[in-house]
Amino acid sequence: MAFSALFLSPRVSVPKFSPSHLPNPKPHHLAFSIRCSSSSSSSSAAAASFDLRSYWTGLISEIEAELEAAIPVRYPEWIYEAMRHAVLSGGAKRASPVMCVAACELLGAPRAAAFPTAAALEMAHAASLVHDDLPCMDAAPLRRGRPSTPALFGVSTAVLAGDALFPLGFAHVIARTPPALVPRPALLRVLAEIARAVGSTGMAAGQFLDLSGAAAGGEAEVLLVLEKKFGEMAECSAVCGGLLGGADEDDAAALRRYGRAVGVLYQLVDDVLMEDEEGVGSNGRSPGKMRSNASAVRALGIDRALEIVEELKDKAKSELRRFDDKCGERVLPLYSFVDYAVHRGFLVAGAGAGAGGNEV
Amino acid sequence: MASSSFAAASHLLYPAALVGSSFAPRRGRPAAAVPALRRCRRRAARASAAAELNASAGAAAAAVEGGREFDFKGYMVARAAAVNRALDAAVPVAYPERVHEAMRYSLLGGGKRVRPVLCLAACELVGGREPLALPPACAVEMIHTMSLIHDDLPCMDDDDLRRGQPTCHVVYGEPLAVLAGDALLALAFRHLADPSSYPSDDLHPPAPRLLRAVAELARCIGAEGLVAGQAVDLESTGLADPVSLDRLEYIHLHKTASLLEASVVLGAIVGGGSDDQVERLRRYARCIGLLFQVVDDILDVTKSSQELGKTAGKDLASDKSTYPKLLGLDKSRQFAEQLLCDAKDQIAAFDPAKAAPLLHLANYIAYRQK
Repeated sequence: MAFSALFLSPRVSVPKFSPSHLPNPKPHHLAFSIRCSSSSSSSSAAAASFDLRSYWTGLISEIEAELEAAIPVRYPEWIYEAMRHAVLSGGAKRASPVMCVAACELLGAPRAAAFPTAAALEMAHAASLVHDDLPCMDAAPLRRGRPSTPALFGVSTAVLAGDALFPLGFAHVIARTPPALVPRPALLRVLAEIARAVGSTGMAAGQFLDLSGAAAGGEAEVLLVLEKKFGEMAECSAVCGGLLGGADEDDAAALRRYGRAVGVLYQLVDDVLMEDEEGVGSNGRSPGKMRSNASAVRALGIDRALEIVEELKDKAKSELRRFDDKCGERVLPLYSFVDYAVHRGFLVAGAGAGAGGNEV
Repeated sequence: MASSSFAAASHLLYPAALVGSSFAPRRGRPAAAVPALRRCRRRAARASAAAELNASAGAAAAAVEGGREFDFKGYMVARAAAVNRALDAAVPVAYPERVHEAMRYSLLGGGKRVRPVLCLAACELVGGREPLALPPACAVEMIHTMSLIHDDLPCMDDDDLRRGQPTCHVVYGEPLAVLAGDALLALAFRHLADPSSYPSDDLHPPAPRLLRAVAELARCIGAEGLVAGQAVDLESTGLADPVSLDRLEYIHLHKTASLLEASVVLGAIVGGGSDDQVERLRRYARCIGLLFQVVDDILDVTKSSQELGKTAGKDLASDKSTYPKLLGLDKSRQFAEQLLCDAKDQIAAFDPAKAAPLLHLANYIAYRQK
């Protein structure tokens, strides 16, 4: 197996990981016969030797520091505390920020160019989760094994904290992105991208379609829910990273398609794993609580789901080919995200991971 | 005489930290507000002895000031119509239709469009072309609508009616109301930040100005602005003791004045205004924001339900803290007079013809009868 080195690599020991999860990750790919692409290019073969886990965990600590500094506690303190709980309470994988930073680095720009935007992506994401946990929505008392923001701070504070996180992310991007690294017009495009991704045709559309039962429809409907709820945000992360790194239009378009495919891929594989383990997800999620109201796999059938997994994996990797020569090893993190999405070689979580993250 | 009771107002209205934008730190300018305030107070003291705030005085002031006839009503109606057209175009019915219908239901359901008109007027005041200010004008109205949708939710104020119509969650259900609000919040930023929202490719504000506008909007509506006002207001209702004057002012300055501030500041920024012009308009908006609430409180105790078109004496009957309760009716009126005067002082240095809309808006807020 070309990728076993990825998840069995003992190279790093990061104290933030819950030790019980570390030594022997369950080799899901064997249980599910998700086929490994036999047409691995030299780059994806090289990806096997790329240590995604240490790359990812190294970035998490930098992203946590960025978020920590981005949300101070001022009067009225309870609102700021609720915002901090939503964003900083631990257990998050920070996949959107990591994707954003990797896409920025792909183009040869320093990662400092991407950190403020990475934080804003996480704040926008957290805002949608806080509202998702409201009693009138999913009514979730727990999130990542901890009390959800509405459960801990009350419903009205949770509504307001969600409303405040989104603008705070925008203000942070503008105030903190080094002007020497990112031209102002590119920054403006990044802000418009984030606003579009979470808006009425993006994540909000996905939430609505999910609530209204579209995920129980045919294949097109099921995939549309996954695209809106998860593809949009991953697409936004990748394209924002590219724009911050100075991508031209063609590179940005390729990153857009890549991000979308990876976002859907990750969720679909999550569904496959949950179905197989009777509700216990790949990251130790408790049974019965899923981020989608209907399982995509149940609607598609396991065989069709696995076919789509293969298609998305190939699609995502083919979008990266254009970067193989001009970006060299900098493209490896992006290849390895695709393999990680399929094989889940290790658990990723921030400080104090209990139950695993509940979303990409 | 009056100044001691207004001490709270002056330090909250003009704290140095709140007046400067993050882009153009103010260098010693907050002090410039002080002479204007003193001058205003002397004038207010003379004025309040002679005249009380009433309809005829307001009408007379409106007709004389500005030096010429100004058709305020016509101005408001025409600008509101332009804003309504722009809002209609900014939120097309796209897939999924129901989400966009919910957004449009609340956004296009009427209203005076005071915030967008302030934005347009501020843009023109600094010499900008009015169409340039339509995207920010739409953005502030989207934010205003979004805050009303979330405010009306059962977990917040729990209102079934707004402007005589069923509220968003009554028509579309709570989950969709939450999402429609979130989507309007996102759309406001997208519309403001996207150069293609502006009249044409060669007629949109340069990127640094747009970024500055986005940062201003973000600050005014987040946990330092609108949300802070709503949070402290929610926490302050139902308390046995009345809140302090400081806290009452904090609530109004954040809950009401913040978005008015964003409206004129965004208009001035996209219109190409100087830092000094932006700061004058910021202070103008803070004054009329507070003025709006003081007048609201006064009307609640002086008018009948029939005159107001809503239940009078509601504030008195409930535990809600108001200016008449904390200051007394006379001092509340003096305070309103002073705020109006302060607001006018901020726009006194501009071309009177261009300042006429903002002057009349201030009078309108001060002298309205309901």
